[in-house]
Amino acid sequence: MTAAAIKRTLLEWIGTHDGGKLTAPQRRFAYLGLAPILAWAFVFVLFPIFWVVLMSLFSYTPTRQGGWFLGLGGDNPYVGLGNYIELFTGNTKSARIFRQAIWNTILFSLLAVPLSVGVALPMAIILESVHQRVKVIFRFIYFLPVVTGSVAVTIIWSYVYAPNWGLLSQIIKTIGLTPPRSWLSDPSQVYFGIPLAMIAVTIVYVWVTFGYNTLFFIAALQGIPSVFREAARIDGANPWQEFWHIVIPLLRRTILLASVLTVISSMQQFVLFWLLTRGGPAYQTQTILLSVYQNAFAYAENMGMAAAMSMFLFIILLILTIIQFRLLRAEWEF
Amino acid sequence: MAGEAIAIPAAVPARRKLSLWRVLSQSMAYVVLIAGFTFTLLPFVYVFLSSFKTNAELRRVPPTFIPESPTLENYVTVISDRQLALHRIFYNSGIVALSRTVLTLLISSFAGYIFARYRFTGRNLFFGMILAQLMIPFQVVMIPLYLLTVKMGLIDTLWALIIPLLIDAYGIFVAKQFVENFPSEILEAARLDGASEFGIYWRIIMPQLGPALASLGILTFMASWNDYLWPLIVITSPEKRTIPLALVWYSTQHGANQGLVLAAAMLTLLPIFIVYFIAQRWIVEQASQSAFK
Repeated sequence: MTAAAIKRTLLEWIGTHDGGKLTAPQRRFAYLGLAPILAWAFVFVLFPIFWVVLMSLFSYTPTRQGGWFLGLGGDNPYVGLGNYIELFTGNTKSARIFRQAIWNTILFSLLAVPLSVGVALPMAIILESVHQRVKVIFRFIYFLPVVTGSVAVTIIWSYVYAPNWGLLSQIIKTIGLTPPRSWLSDPSQVYFGIPLAMIAVTIVYVWVTFGYNTLFFIAALQGIPSVFREAARIDGANPWQEFWHIVIPLLRRTILLASVLTVISSMQQFVLFWLLTRGGPAYQTQTILLSVYQNAFAYAENMGMAAAMSMFLFIILLILTIIQFRLLRAEWEF
Repeated sequence: MAGEAIAIPAAVPARRKLSLWRVLSQSMAYVVLIAGFTFTLLPFVYVFLSSFKTNAELRRVPPTFIPESPTLENYVTVISDRQLALHRIFYNSGIVALSRTVLTLLISSFAGYIFARYRFTGRNLFFGMILAQLMIPFQVVMIPLYLLTVKMGLIDTLWALIIPLLIDAYGIFVAKQFVENFPSEILEAARLDGASEFGIYWRIIMPQLGPALASLGILTFMASWNDYLWPLIVITSPEKRTIPLALVWYSTQHGANQGLVLAAAMLTLLPIFIVYFIAQRWIVEQASQSAFK
């Protein structure tokens, strides 16, 4: 490659002016206008991620006297991959809790995705089939928990989950069963290998998110040309067949996308866990994000370790986001 | 004619089958819809009704559903609580959410305009810098963001809830998309009439961006209004608490008096429900589109 060709490719990649169409004042306006915004994005978006990567390689606590650059070095020594090795093989309490948190986070996503998507998809299909006015009302209601702040959500649900006088316990008694002594704090309550507290948090999460996923599927359903379903109907397909053989195959990619988005958002969930269970009982609902928060802010100021935990979360989320973008870029034509 | 004669007998049995199916599936549909309706609303209704109960009634086993002797006492106590200071937490949350929304919209629309209209060197690179945000979740960078806020002296001020959170890659992307689809003849005409570059953005693009920005704005506002994790990290003074922080503090203070906590929660939900009721079409539409970002 010649120097000129390299220069051309490089300019293309970073984006070049096409043939000097911009006047000098225009160019000045563009650069001056964008400069503060880019500076902002650099300071508050790009620099922090670089900082987390770096911090995860140090034993860092902000209260210790560190080196000149970001307080790293000095009393906050470089430990290489030490934090990561400690997290995955170490025997300290926070490392053991973190390993438990990884499994809990995965378990939570595995529970939340089929439940949220499994409730939302039939809901969306049914909503699409009923009268417009009915649809608007139900859509309004289903979306209500999405706009409710998650702190208010936890207050509402802690009251529903109250051990003795709670609504849920009462409903269970009414249908003649014995409710568990506690919904959120008894570590011995485990069903099919899943702690009851985890199930309880998942139910709240599904309550909050299924309205959002319903909306998502409605948007996708409206994108299916009606000829497909009409053709099936004329051929004598009943609604059940129409659902399984027309709608589901056409929505396959949307379902996948909704699932990926739900996994991403479930892994970023903090408030429900922090305020309903604090990760308990016996760390059964401890998640990665709770570990990050606790190690960095709440119980300790072990930020180097917390940064390594963040990096682990970041890599998982990055992979999921790339999958999400792939799905979005793929053809949407039917 | 011959075609119709063939089509009709084929359609008749199918239709009879269909109508049976239709009755069945329609009633099934409503059963499912109402189940979802109950699942969604029951917790709200139960907590709303319970907020009018006396403390004694709240602790009764089995619980009552409808309050026996409804009282406004809980609400009166919450509203007159000097320590909770409802007006202050509403002000804090309101001013933060409003500033964050207005500034985010201005930045997004302005950056979107520049990226869409000017082909300057470095455009793709800079736009990529902005889009990188879509890959970087807040939760991953909250530790350095906290340290930055400390270094900048913003810690425990309402500014800390605004300044670090103003870049919205999705908003910039939407604005850019919008300006790219804007008829360039109008912009050229304005330029010939002597409008400045900024004038074109402010007087021609901005008014047209209205509906697109309104939906984005509502989402930003609600995200800020409901945010808990970031305020939890950067706010410590009681007088700077936002609504979610104050609500958690209040519920730990009054663990023994659930009625007060429920009433406080209901009071803080009221404004957001009113906004949702008024703007529901925008919110619902924007939310379903933003998923496709």
